Order: sequence, then C-alpha cells, then structure tokens
Amino acid sequence: MGRIQLKNVTKSFGETQVIPPLDLTIEDGEFAVFVGPSGCGKSTLLRMIAGLEDLTSGNIEIDGDVATEVPPSQRGLAMVFQSYALYPHMTVRKNIGFPLRMAKMEQAEIDQRVETAAKSLNLMDYLERKPADLSGGQRQRVAIGRAIVREPAAFLFDEPLSNLDAALRVGMRLEIGELHERLKTTMIYVTHDQVEAMTMANKIVVLRAGVIEQVGSPLELYHKPQNEFVAGFIGSPKMNFVKGPEAEKYGAATIGIRPEHTDVSMTEGAWKGRVGVAEHLGSDTFIHVHDTGLADMLTVRVTGDISVKHGDTIYLTPQADQIHKFDTQGLRL
Amino acid sequence: MSDRKLPRLLQSPAVLLLLVWMLIPLGMTLYFSFIRYVLNSLRRPEWTSPSLSNWRGFGNYEFVLKSKDFLFAIQNSLFIVCSILILTVILGVLIAVLINKTFPGQGIVRVLLISPFFVMPAVNAVLWINMILDPVLGLQGIAIGSINDLIDGLRAAPGVGWFFSLWPELEPISFRATQTSAYAVIIMVTWQWTPFAVLIFMTSLQSEDQQQKEAAVLDGASPWSQFRFLTLPHLARPIAIVVMIQAIFHLSLYAEIEIVSRGTGNKNLPYLIGEFANNNIGAASATGIFAVILANIVAFFLLRMIGKTLME
Repeated sequence: MGRIQLKNVTKSFGETQVIPPLDLTIEDGEFAVFVGPSGCGKSTLLRMIAGLEDLTSGNIEIDGDVATEVPPSQRGLAMVFQSYALYPHMTVRKNIGFPLRMAKMEQAEIDQRVETAAKSLNLMDYLERKPADLSGGQRQRVAIGRAIVREPAAFLFDEPLSNLDAALRVGMRLEIGELHERLKTTMIYVTHDQVEAMTMANKIVVLRAGVIEQVGSPLELYHKPQNEFVAGFIGSPKMNFVKGPEAEKYGAATIGIRPEHTDVSMTEGAWKGRVGVAEHLGSDTFIHVHDTGLADMLTVRVTGDISVKHGDTIYLTPQADQIHKFDTQGLRL
Repeated sequence: MSDRKLPRLLQSPAVLLLLVWMLIPLGMTLYFSFIRYVLNSLRRPEWTSPSLSNWRGFGNYEFVLKSKDFLFAIQNSLFIVCSILILTVILGVLIAVLINKTFPGQGIVRVLLISPFFVMPAVNAVLWINMILDPVLGLQGIAIGSINDLIDGLRAAPGVGWFFSLWPELEPISFRATQTSAYAVIIMVTWQWTPFAVLIFMTSLQSEDQQQKEAAVLDGASPWSQFRFLTLPHLARPIAIVVMIQAIFHLSLYAEIEIVSRGTGNKNLPYLIGEFANNNIGAASATGIFAVILANIVAFFLLRMIGKTLME
C-alpha cells in the first residue's frame, strides 16, 4: 500500500515561502510525476515527503496515518537520488544490501534478496565491483536495486536520469516504466523534462513557483491545459501563442495552437509568413515561420519530409477544432 | 626521440642537485661510520681527524649495538611514535566530526583549535613541563594539592567523614622521572599535533557527499552507522596521510626529550646520536645509519598501508 496525501502543506526557508498551502493526493499504485521548471519547488516537495525536509505547516499522510513527525527511515519510502548517492567504499552487493543490514536482517535473507534484485536489474555480473567501476546506467540500476530490496510503500525518484546521456535516458525510462508495471508500487518522480513526464506518468503534477498549476493524466494535460503555462510547458515543440486581433476573432485574449495542429501550404492559407530555419528529422520537419505579423515566430510540424528553403513564402492554417482559447488571466476559456 | 631529450636535459640540473644533496651527507656518514673519528682525544690524537688509516670496519656498529642504550632507544622511538599516532588520529577524528557541525562561534573555535600547531616545539615542551606537568608548581601540582586539601577538610566533616578517611592521599606524578618522561613527551606532542590531524580531517569531512548521508538516513542508518560505514571509510585516505607525515616528524623528536629529562629514561635514536656526537663521531654516524634503516622499515610498512587504502 502507498497512498500519499499532502494536506495544506507549506514550506518556508526563513522569510521566503517556497511552497504556499498545497493539497495533493497520490493514489496507491500510481506513477505520479512532478514536473516544472527549475526552482519550482518540486524537489523540495519530494524531500518533504521523504522526510529530509521539515514541513513549515500542514500534514503528510501515508496510507491514512499522519507521517509528518515520523523519521525518514520509518516512513517506508525509498528514494533514488540524482547523483545516485551510492556508497563508494562498498561493493554493489553491499550497497544494495545496506538498508537490510541496517534493519538487522539475517545475512542469508539479505543475500537472497540482493540476488533477486540484482537478477531483475541485470546486475549479477557486477555484484563484487565498486561503484567507481560502473557506468552511469549501471550505477543508476544499483541505486534502484537499493530501493527495491526494502520493498517500500512508495518509490521517490529525484531527477534520476538527468546525469545520463540521451540514448541511455530513453532506455532507463523504459526500464523504470517496466518496473512500475511489474511492482505496481506507488512511484513519485521529479523531473524538469516534460518528455519523461508524458511517457512515464499516470498522473502529472505541473508545478510553478510552488503552486500546482494542473493535475491530470498526460493526455488530459495535452488536450485540455487549464492555462497558458501548462499549455506551453507540455508538448514538444512548444505551443504557439497568438495575441491581439487574430485572437479576438475567436473571442479570446490569447489563442494557442500546437505545431502539429497547423496545416501548411505553399500557395494559400489563413496566415502568410516566411520560412526561417527548417529542422529536417526525417520522420518530421519542424519549420520556424517568421514575419506572420502574429507572433515573433511560429513553429509548425509537417509529417515526413517537405522541401522548403530559408526565405520561402509559406501559408499556415490552424485546425479550427484544435485551437486553445485563453482569457486575459491566461486561464482556459 | 629528440623531443624527449630536451625535457630530460632541462630536468638534469635539478635532479643532479638533489642527488648531490642526498648522496654527499649519506656518503660522509657511511665513511665516518667505518673509521675511528673522535673530536677530542689526548691519548690518540691521530683519531681526531678523519682518515682512512683509522679504518675500524664494523667496529663502530658493534660498539653501538653493544651499548646499553641502543635497543632501548629503538623501542622507545617506536613506543613514542606509535602512541602519538594513535592518540592524534583518534582525537583528531573525534574533534573534526564534532566541530564539522555548524554552531555559533565556529570560526573562533576552529582558530583556537589550530593554534597549538603554531607553537615552537621547544616552547611547547618548556610550557608543559614547567607550567602544567610540574608536580609542585605546575597545574598538576596545584590541582592535586587542592584536591588533597578538599578531602582533608571532608574527613573532618560529621557523618560522611569516615567515608573520605578511606580515601588515600593523592600523589602528584613527577614527569621528569625515569619511568614517566616518555609519557610527558607523548602528552605534549599529542597536544601539539592533534590540531594538524583535525585540520586535515576537517577539510576532508567538508568534501563528504551529503546525498550519501541522506540516502543512509532513508536506509535506516543510525548516526553511529553513518559514521562507521560512510564517514570513517571516507577518512581512510586522510588518516593514512596524517600517519605518514607524523611518523616522519616524530621519529626525529629531539627538543622535547632534551627539555623534559635530558634523555634520562627516555631516549630515541636521534637523541642517542646527539649523545655520541659529543665526542665519538664514528659511533654517532653508525647510529645514524641504523636510524636510516629504521626509518626505511617504517616507511615501507606505511607506504604499503597507504597503497592499500588508495586502492580501495
């Protein structure tokens, strides 16, 4: 079991309040991702759940029991750190077995659990090595192994993939997703990368300056962003925003249209512009369009390849049913 | 290979200078250790100038080995060095861990802790033996005197007097005596060198990874376990460095031994060399060669120990 509730939680460092009162429920077995730009308080929130930071006020409940005053080791939560935080003087076997050793478990039981975890993480060949002799991905797996053996109520991940190279990151993303499917344990994952959030989460919590902007499934956030911030943060490349008379035509202060929801033509369309840089990825082409008179730059996505040159004239037509409308406060209409 | 010749050519003056610097004193010591060479002799004036015609072979070595103080000096050297090493490392680790926490007045406390290291060895020895350890005038004598006075007073007290009359009169320890002068040297050198250990360990503690500590907290490690499994292994390398540097310095202690008891009951190899060198340069040189051998044995074990910790 691992149902985590935050009730009226706040956090201040001295005079500065980094997290204004905040309520959030993470259901048992959910994969929740806290996402937001750096400095939005997502790591602080995770550390408060772990017990590494005190709450200024409010309560944290785990499975209905108030855990605010419970010491970190008694909360039944396991954490994977950004720097992996492996113990450099111990072998992989001792690293993974450390929480069990601290729990005064029998050596035979420790060995057995460590080997089960090592097998499931493909670490059997590395058990006698020290962390310094492992690659980044292997260290990450050791850190996950150390979390798994405790059989925690929930896993906490603090930007675990940000020290890995791009290819490895995709692989580890899948492994963590696979792990969640297998264990069905609650996981809370902190990242600044919206791609990680979209691909792994059941529930995304978008944070800005300590405030929850929106909570929902990845596709809810994609299709129905509650405000301009969420609309701009979720989705890659970013949504285009148009203000002024063009937006008023739709009865809104600002309209947003995603690059993939814009039709492109070289001969006719609603908006006329000039091609800037075109990024040819093979499967897609991202064209940056200037001089539309609507915004500094609009980005559009064309499936497959299209032959456009820098400086060509281009016409864009937004798909009418995919236009997001926002009021002057930036809230969804 | 010409691109390698030039750097070697440029290095050679420094290398040569260092070699000369090391080899000439060593060569002269070796030479003197095999001849009869004394500073003053009315009976055999020819021995007062070094010359190959005074060749004595291993005679000086035999003389040193048979002298009553030689074995004692080696034992005592090792006893003093090892005691100081153990005490400074233990005290150094404890104090460094203690002051690594943030507390008000931290800066001043750190400066005060480091300051004994800047006292000159001879001054250190004079201060300790006269002002602190002296059985009559030092702090020790005053403290023990007042405790005795206090107990004397309590013996006369009604009710509890019988209990205190069972207590013995305390005797101050004379640290200049034959049996205790080595302890005095150990105490004063430990006081002076603990700050050095604290300084090295403190810098090392500041580079300790805080996320590892947090991970250990979540893994259920008690403060003792964190110290035992994270901090102590982290300090292995600085401990090895402190041990090596101190061993080099303390094998050649001289001022403290001279000031505490003029070598009575407490000699090490350098002190023995000094005693021989009053007249018998040949014997002093032979003792010097023994000291070189001893230092090399110690260095061999230390380097192996450090090599091991570096490999881990």
